[in-house]
Amino acid sequence: MQAYIIRRIIGAVFVVFLVGTFSFFAIRVLPGDFATASLGLDAGSASAENIAQRKADLGLDLPIGEQYANWLWDTVRLDLGTSFLTQNSVWYEIGRSLPYSIELGVLIMIVGFTVAIPVGLISAIFQDKALDYSLRGLAILALAAPVFWTAAIASLVVLQWDLFLIDVIGQPHLWESPGKAITWYLIPMFAGGFAGTATTMRLLRSQMLEVLRQDYVRTARSKGLTETAVILRHALRNALLPVLTVMGVTIATIIGSQVILENMFNIPGIGNKVLTSLFARDNPVFQSVVLIIAVFTVLTNLVVDILYGVIDPRIRLS
Amino acid sequence: MSQIADPTVVPLRDPTILERLGNATVSLGRFLRGKPLGGSGLIVVVIFILVALLAPVIQRHDPDEIFEGANPDYKANPTVIELARNPDVGSPVIVNQFVEPSGGHWFGTDKFGRDIWSQVVHGARLSLIVGLGASVIAVVGGLIIGMISAYYAGLVDLLIQRLVDMLQAIPFLVLVLVFTQITERSVFNVVLWLGVAGLAITTRLIRSAVLGVRESEFVLAARVVGASDLRIMIRHVLPNVVAVLIIAFSIGIGAYILAEASISFLGAGPQGIPSWGQMVQAGRGSLDLHPWQTVFAGGAIMMLVLGFNLLGDALRDVLDPRLRGA
Repeated sequence: MQAYIIRRIIGAVFVVFLVGTFSFFAIRVLPGDFATASLGLDAGSASAENIAQRKADLGLDLPIGEQYANWLWDTVRLDLGTSFLTQNSVWYEIGRSLPYSIELGVLIMIVGFTVAIPVGLISAIFQDKALDYSLRGLAILALAAPVFWTAAIASLVVLQWDLFLIDVIGQPHLWESPGKAITWYLIPMFAGGFAGTATTMRLLRSQMLEVLRQDYVRTARSKGLTETAVILRHALRNALLPVLTVMGVTIATIIGSQVILENMFNIPGIGNKVLTSLFARDNPVFQSVVLIIAVFTVLTNLVVDILYGVIDPRIRLS
Repeated sequence: MSQIADPTVVPLRDPTILERLGNATVSLGRFLRGKPLGGSGLIVVVIFILVALLAPVIQRHDPDEIFEGANPDYKANPTVIELARNPDVGSPVIVNQFVEPSGGHWFGTDKFGRDIWSQVVHGARLSLIVGLGASVIAVVGGLIIGMISAYYAGLVDLLIQRLVDMLQAIPFLVLVLVFTQITERSVFNVVLWLGVAGLAITTRLIRSAVLGVRESEFVLAARVVGASDLRIMIRHVLPNVVAVLIIAFSIGIGAYILAEASISFLGAGPQGIPSWGQMVQAGRGSLDLHPWQTVFAGGAIMMLVLGFNLLGDALRDVLDPRLRGA
C-alpha cells in the first residue's frame, strides 16, 4: 500500500511539473506580450527602445531557457513573482481571489449534490416510471444547456419578476454580509450546480440499479428491514463510492464553468484571473493560477484514488 | 469423392449495393424502434444538418442585412432640446432594432436591426463544422497516439500517459482558450485546436480498448505466424476497436460545440461567421427588455447538443453495453 501511495505521489508531482511547464511556454508562445500591449498599440507612443526597455524591466528579454530556469527555481521556492498588471505579488492576488472561487465552488457543489443524490435515488427507485423518465430527461437537458445560457435565462427571470436585486458591485464575502453575498452568488451557484448535477445523478442512478440487484440487498430485505433502511443504509452507501471516484472530473468541470460564471457575474475569483491574465499576457499570474488549478485537480484525484485503494485492494494492483 | 450439391448451402459472395442498402435500412429501423430517445436525437441532428445546408434558402433575409424603417418621431427641424432628448429625431429613417418576433422577422431583430432567425440559421453551420470536425481530429489523433501508447508500452506509454494527465489537469475551457489564441482565429484553426484539446480523452479511451485487444489470442496467433507490428495493428487490432472509435466520436461532438460556444461567448471565438455563443453574449446587453437573441441562440445550442448527446448515448448502449453510464 505504501509503495502504491508513493508511486501515485511521484506521478502527481510530475504531472504538476508538466502543467507548469506547459503554462510557462503557452503564455510565451501566444502572439503579443505585456510590454508591447501596455505601451499602447499605436506606433507613436511605443518606440522600439521603449518596448525593449520595458521588456528588460519585466525580464522578458532574457533567452527562453534562462527564463524557464529562473521560473522553475523560483516556483520550487514558492516565489511566484509579481503581477505585470497590478504590480502586486502574485501570492497577494491569489490570496484575494481564491476565497471567492472557493466560496462559489463549494456552493456549486452543495447545490449539485443536494440535487443529484435525492434525484438519482428517486430515479433509481422509480425505474422506468414516468417520474424516472422526466427526471432523466431533465438531466439530459442540463447536460446540453451551456452554463452561460442557463445563467442568462435565470437572470432574465429574476429581472422580469423583480425577485431580488443582484449586487455585483460590492463583491461581499459570505462571512462579511451573507444577505448581499447570497443574492450575488445565487444565480451562478444554481447555474453551475445544475450543470454539475446531471453527470452525478446519472452515475448514481445506474450504480443504484446495480446495487439494488445484489444479494446483500435481498438479504437485508428478507431480514425484514424497512425499505428506507435498505435503500439508505445498504444500497446508497455502496452506490456512492463510484460517484466519489469521479469527483476529480466533477471538480475540473466545475472550475471550467466557474471561469465563465465569474466573468459573467463580476466575481473576482481565480477563474476570472485566468481570463484577465491570459488576455493581458500577465505571465506570472497566468502561470501561477493555472498551476494552482492543476494542483487542486491533481490533489483531489490523488486523495480519491488513495482512499479508493484503501477501500478496494484490487485497485492497488492495476 | 464427388461433390454433392447441398441445396441448403448458399454460396458465399459479397452482398450487392442494393442488399447492403437494404441491410442498413433494416438496422436503422431497428435502432429507431429499440432506442426511441436515440432516434429522436438522430432526427434533431438531421434537421440541424438540413438547416445548415439549406441556410441560404431558408434564411429569409441576409444575416448581415440591416433593416431600417420610417422614424415615428421624425421632425424636419428639431430644436436643440428635442435633439438632446432623442438624438435620432432629425433622421427620417431609423434602424429597426429590437423588433419583437413577428411574421416579418420570425425571431425578431437584434440591436443593429439584423434578422435573428437568419443569424441562428447560419450559426448552425459553424456549430456543426466545429462539432464534427473537432471530433474527427480528436478521434484520428487519439487512435494513432492511443495505439502507439498501448502497443509499445514501457517508457513511451508512461510518457504519453503523463502528458494526457497533464492535459486533463487543466480545465478544458482554459486549454481551448490558450490553444485558439496561438494562431489566427479562423474557423479551420479553431476546429483544429478543439480537436487537439480533446486528444487527452480520446487517447485514454482508445488506449484502454487497444490494451484489451492486445492480449487476445488472435493477436498472439498473428504474431506467431510472423505478422509485422503495423499489420497486426491495422488488420487485427483496428477492426476490434471500431466500436470504441464510433463511441468516442459521437459522445465528443456535444462537448466541442459547447466549448466553441463558450469561447465565442467570451469573445475569443472564430471570427467572421455567425456564432450562437457570440449571439448569446450580444443579446445580454439588453436582456431585461429584449431577450430574444439570447433566448433563441442559446436554445439552438441546447437543442443541437441535446440531439448529439441522445444519439451518442444510444450508439454507446448499442455498440458497447459495458460502457453504459460512462
